[in-house]
This record gives sequence, C-alpha cells and structure tokens, in this order.
Amino acid sequence: MTDLLPIALIAGLLALDERAGWQSLLSEPVFSAAIIGALTGVLEPALQCGLVLQFVWLTIGQPRGTRRANVVVGGVVGAGTVCLVQNHTGEPNVAFVVAMGVVWGLVAGEFGARITEMTGSLRERRLEAFKLPADRAVASRNLTVAVVGSALFVVVAEILQVLFLLPTAAATTEALAARVTPSLAAGAKLWITVLPAFALVAVGRAFYQSRNPARFAIIGFAIGVLLL
Amino acid sequence: MSRLSPGDLARVNARLLFLQASLHRRGMQNIGLLFALDAAADKLGRDRLLERHTDYFNTNPNLAPIVVGGILRIEEEGDSAGPASVSRFKQAAASALAAAGDVLFSGALRPLALTLACLSVIYSFFAGLLAVWVLYNTALLVGRRRGIAFGYARGWGLVESFSGPRVQRWLAGARGLAALGAGLLAGLLVNKSSAAGTYTVITLVGVAALIWLLTRRGMTAPRLALALFPLAWVIALLLP
Repeated sequence: MTDLLPIALIAGLLALDERAGWQSLLSEPVFSAAIIGALTGVLEPALQCGLVLQFVWLTIGQPRGTRRANVVVGGVVGAGTVCLVQNHTGEPNVAFVVAMGVVWGLVAGEFGARITEMTGSLRERRLEAFKLPADRAVASRNLTVAVVGSALFVVVAEILQVLFLLPTAAATTEALAARVTPSLAAGAKLWITVLPAFALVAVGRAFYQSRNPARFAIIGFAIGVLLL
Repeated sequence: MSRLSPGDLARVNARLLFLQASLHRRGMQNIGLLFALDAAADKLGRDRLLERHTDYFNTNPNLAPIVVGGILRIEEEGDSAGPASVSRFKQAAASALAAAGDVLFSGALRPLALTLACLSVIYSFFAGLLAVWVLYNTALLVGRRRGIAFGYARGWGLVESFSGPRVQRWLAGARGLAALGAGLLAGLLVNKSSAAGTYTVITLVGVAALIWLLTRRGMTAPRLALALFPLAWVIALLLP
C-alpha cells in the first residue's frame, strides 16, 4: 500500500489537467492507467483495465457541459486497484483482477461524478460571489487567489476521493480473488470480452446520422476487419 | 504600432491554459478571462479594462486564445465604438468559436487521438501511445500560441474569419478523419473477437445492439456496463 499516496497525488494532478487545465488527454483512463502502471511496475494489466474503461467511457462529439462519469477518479481507482493487488499478492488470475479493477473503476467514476457535483456547487458559490475590486493591485491578487484556489480545491477533492475509494477497492478485490470459483472467474472474463461493444455503439452513434463521416467510418471499419 | 510584445501575448496565453479552473454557472469562464487579461492590462494602459469584461464569457477553451487576441487588439485600439461594442464582439466571437471548437475538439481531434491511443494499447505499442499524446498536445499548444497571435492581428475582422465555407471544409475534413480512426477501432475490435470464435462475435454484436437500445432509452453506459456484470456471472454459472 506504499503506492497509495503517489497514486492519489497523480489523481490530483490529472484532475488539475481535466477540470482546470488544458485537457491534455492524460486524464483519460487509457493514459492514466499507463502512468499508474508505469509507476507501480504493473503496466500490462493496468493498461488492460484502462483500455476497457476507455471503451465504456468513449464519447464522440458530446457537447461540453454534458454530465459524464468522473473519468479521473474512475480511471485511477480502476488501474490503481489492479496494480495494488498485483503488487501485494501477485495474484495469478490476472483477468479476474482486471475485471474487478474495471468494476471498481466504473463504480468510482459514478461516485466521483456525484461528489464532484456536490463539491463543484460549493466551489461555484464562492466564485459567483467574486467581485472585482476597484484597486488594480488588489484586483490582480484576488483574481490569482480565485483561480489558484479553485484549481487547488479540485485537486484536493480528487485526492481525497481516491484515498477513500482505492484501499476499499483493493481490499475487496484481494478478498474476492482469494475465494473466486472457476465459474465466477469465467463470468468476469466473459464480461470483459463483451465490454468493447460499448465502443462499437459509441462509434455507430457518433457517425450514423451524417452521411460523409459515416462513409469514412465504414471505410475504416472495413480496413479494421480485413487488414489489421 | 502594437503595444503588446510576443512575450506579453505568451503570458496571457499561459494564463489561458487555466481558463477552466474558475468555471461557474453564472459567468462561466469570466474569471478565467479576467485573470488572463490581467497579465496585459498594465501594458495596454487602458482605464478600467478589467471592469469591462466582468460579464458572461463562454467559449471552447482551446480556441479561447483567438477571442482573447481579438479583445486585446480592440482594447489596444481604444474601442472607438464604445464598451458595448467590445462586449458584442466578445460574445459573437466566443459563440462562433465555441461551436466550431466543439466540433473540432470533442467531435474530431480528441476522439481521433483516443482511438489511436486505444489501437496502440491493443497492439502493445507503447511508443505509439506516447506519440499520440505528444502529437495531440503539440498541436494543441502550437494552435493556442498561433491563435492568440491570429486574433491579435485580426481584431474586429475575427468573426468574419470563422464564418466562411473554408472553416466548414476544415471541420468536415477533421470529422472525416476522426470517423476513419473510429471505424478502424470498431473494425479491429470485431476482428479481434472473431479470432476468439464466431460465438464471441455474435455475442459482441448482440450486446452492442442491446446497449444501443437501452442507452437510447436513457440508461447511461457505465451503469449498463455494471448491470451486465452479474448477468455475465449468471451466464457463466449456467454454461457447462
């Protein structure tokens, strides 16, 4: 569990990128899983978990402001669970651990979205009360405090969520992995196998209504099926 | 003669990287905009510059430097048409670029980068994952740097620059590229599942049809994925 704090800190930085910064893609699960996997030395299973989470959360052309799962907390908790369990127990049933990582990632993403909504409204209330002072120097200082304070609030909120969720997820996964029967492990594997269907739906929904992109998507699909 | 040097524009641009940090429902990105304009306010030497920009501001964060460049030019020229007009310019440019930016980023570049990242992971090509991230961010940061310079050079003429057919052609091209990438990913997923057997492909397509139907009825993808988890366990228990 020595990796818990660095993982939580990474979540804070990724939240800064996603909700305060320029959205460099690092907060997307496929990238956050790579960072956490590289940090803990469990790259391949972490990436498997991040990839599946990415399929479920893949959105194309969603308008800004649409409510989405908290992909930062979800991605970090999902990949973090896989890495912590693998490092602690060296569990041979990697597919089951990855499946549990995905489950926890999805749960954390939903939980995180609720928490972010609540903490977000607290943060917004402070920002809405912001008044620009007449004095230039004071105005400049207050603006810096408002922006930096708001960014730090997001970072701390995200770190705390990960510190709460990740140990719970890792402990539950460890306990389940020790007791899992072959048929339940097969169920988890089956579940992971069908989750890419979410990506198929995201692609279909994004392009089926507009003729020109749909043509390109069909060409890409044909190349993917026949040549890759 | 421009009063703002490239260094001043770079400082404003750096602050614009955190435009979203102080996002709130009433004024949206207005505090972030004030924070960015604050970096150049003294150089422009205009009285009460910040007070004129406390109203609502909302645009695509990646294209915001273009709007801000335009605002800086207008403020520098003295906003001869009065403070109401700079506000109108700001809203017009912000709306035009919000729509174009959402199509370009949420509908094209971001999904394209993500599908390429997924393809890299599927093929265990980690250098590809890194390359996607570097390319995406280079394009983003260079675009932001050029954007503020472009807006600053155009000033009032900015809105017309984004309403012509050429922009629409660019957007359509980017969207076509994203569709090609997304199609590739979808094709590869079907291809990979076919390697596991015909039943896997049939299951994948069947589950996709179910997801399509249920998400159309308002169920969200993550909740549906979680609901499928116990179902998969039950199926595994029943199968020999």
